[in-house]
Amino acid sequence: MEGMIAIWQRDVLKFFRDRARLFGSFVMPVLFLLIFGEGLSGTMESLVMSGVEGEENFQYVKFVFPGIVAMTILMTAVFSSLSIIQDKEFGYMKEIMVSPISRVYIALGKMLGASTVAFIQGVMMFLLIPFLGIRYDFINLIKVLPFMFLLACTLASVGLLIASLLKSTQGFQLIVQIIVMPMVFLSGALFPVSNMPGWMDIIVKLNPITYGVDIMKKVMIDVDSLSPLIREIMGLNLTIFQRPLSIMEEVLFMIIFTTVLILLATLSFRRANS
Amino acid sequence: MENMIEVRNLHKKYKDHHAVKNISFDVKKGEIFGFLGPNGAGKSTTIHMICTMLAPTSGSIMINGYDAVKQKNKVRESIGIIFQENTLDEKLTAWENLMLHCKFYKVPKSERKTRIQEVLEIVDLVHEKNKRVETFSGGMKRRLEIARGLLHYPKVLFLDEPTVGLDPQTRAHIWEYILRLKEKQGITMFLTTHYLDEAEISDRIGIMDKGEIITINSPAALKKEIGGDIIELSTAEHQATIATIKKDDNIIDVTDHGDVIHIKVQNSDAFVTQFIKQLDVPIRTLNIRKPTLNDVFLAFTGENIHKTEEKEA
Repeated sequence: MEGMIAIWQRDVLKFFRDRARLFGSFVMPVLFLLIFGEGLSGTMESLVMSGVEGEENFQYVKFVFPGIVAMTILMTAVFSSLSIIQDKEFGYMKEIMVSPISRVYIALGKMLGASTVAFIQGVMMFLLIPFLGIRYDFINLIKVLPFMFLLACTLASVGLLIASLLKSTQGFQLIVQIIVMPMVFLSGALFPVSNMPGWMDIIVKLNPITYGVDIMKKVMIDVDSLSPLIREIMGLNLTIFQRPLSIMEEVLFMIIFTTVLILLATLSFRRANS
Repeated sequence: MENMIEVRNLHKKYKDHHAVKNISFDVKKGEIFGFLGPNGAGKSTTIHMICTMLAPTSGSIMINGYDAVKQKNKVRESIGIIFQENTLDEKLTAWENLMLHCKFYKVPKSERKTRIQEVLEIVDLVHEKNKRVETFSGGMKRRLEIARGLLHYPKVLFLDEPTVGLDPQTRAHIWEYILRLKEKQGITMFLTTHYLDEAEISDRIGIMDKGEIITINSPAALKKEIGGDIIELSTAEHQATIATIKKDDNIIDVTDHGDVIHIKVQNSDAFVTQFIKQLDVPIRTLNIRKPTLNDVFLAFTGENIHKTEEKEA
């Protein structure tokens, strides 16, 4: 248990020592925020306002922002898992692997390290809110934090599993492009995914980011006070087998998903020893 | 318990390649065991299996009374490993590296500070403890790794090429530290090295070749086993000299090393005085010596250890 905490602390400590990484990881989300937030908002807003009577306060950025935060968490969580491969390349993984720490704790420690870093980056995105001309209830921003951490854990476990199977950083970059980008696009983070073709809909429903983003939107934006049409257009009626999902069910899905991936990563660490 | 490590019928097979073939050997408590062999002999595979990093195909390994296959964690607690390559976290300070190790190995909280101080003193790094490892020289990093390997009071210390890539002065220092350790703490040491002069400090040496242990004995006994003296001779007419030597009945063996001829005889004094009279070509150099571990290595594996190194590079 203490070994797990030590591995966790080490990764978080190293993150704060590496200033370049701290700021570098903001570039992509800000870019997406500009393109999807500012660029698309004109079209989306006129579209929504022409359909809804008396709706004047609709702000598209407000709907996209939680998605961008989720994307930041995804990017940071996955790239932080890269530290496992770096540890392999620079030899430190050997020091960890020959120690008597149980393999589950190695996987958990690494996962928690990456998710803490990703969570911190996600929270730092909140600093942009005043500059976007939008407002969220402060209470809601506090309430969303645990869900953000859970999402970070889920995504870090994706990175963990990939990293545990690979030996070099080059392979990792490739897999990230193949897996991470589709995960972002098919999650509802950037645009609504409510009317997708069948096969795509299956991917959307299996994608853990879908649920993370959905919860974040539900908590950050006061969904119940919105008109049904806006909810429909913005894809806030996530259903599975025609049944609306509750936050509890979504949380449960993410926990199961994370647990399975950590167990797989643990097995992969065990195999690395044989 | 007299044996710290007991290896029985250890075998490792990769697809159709047998890297380690049914080897058995013991390492006694408190001794320095030198493990030599040309590259590709199966040394690394054997060590990795002993250190629980690789599962054997068959056979058993007991370390400190624990089974390396079934009681991995007990074995891991009992051993310290100094790897050939750097396994320190260079972005962290020396002290942070040591503290992490204490946590990984569950060193009791109350003892951590004293133990870190203690190992830093052994390797003379007390004043550098708060500097980041990336600022250290190669020798300092090695010393820090040795210090770290000692933190959890291992019963066996594995030293895999501990001085590779270091300058001669630093090498001498590292050995000083290692010997000091053996005297003070009585740790059993399992050593691999390419520098055969360094292997001299071993109590016993095991030589491995082509997946098998060829011989195990003390350095002195191994040299004695080869026997005789070695005369290194170079003359103006190489081939003629070899022809002359081969006629002599007293020689045990002659090997041609390019410019130099190695002649092995039982008694060099008697041989040389006789032989010089017979030889009618001018002698360039003549050197008489006792066999070294390099000759032992050569005799058992048919390869010069430095040549095997070049082959790999």
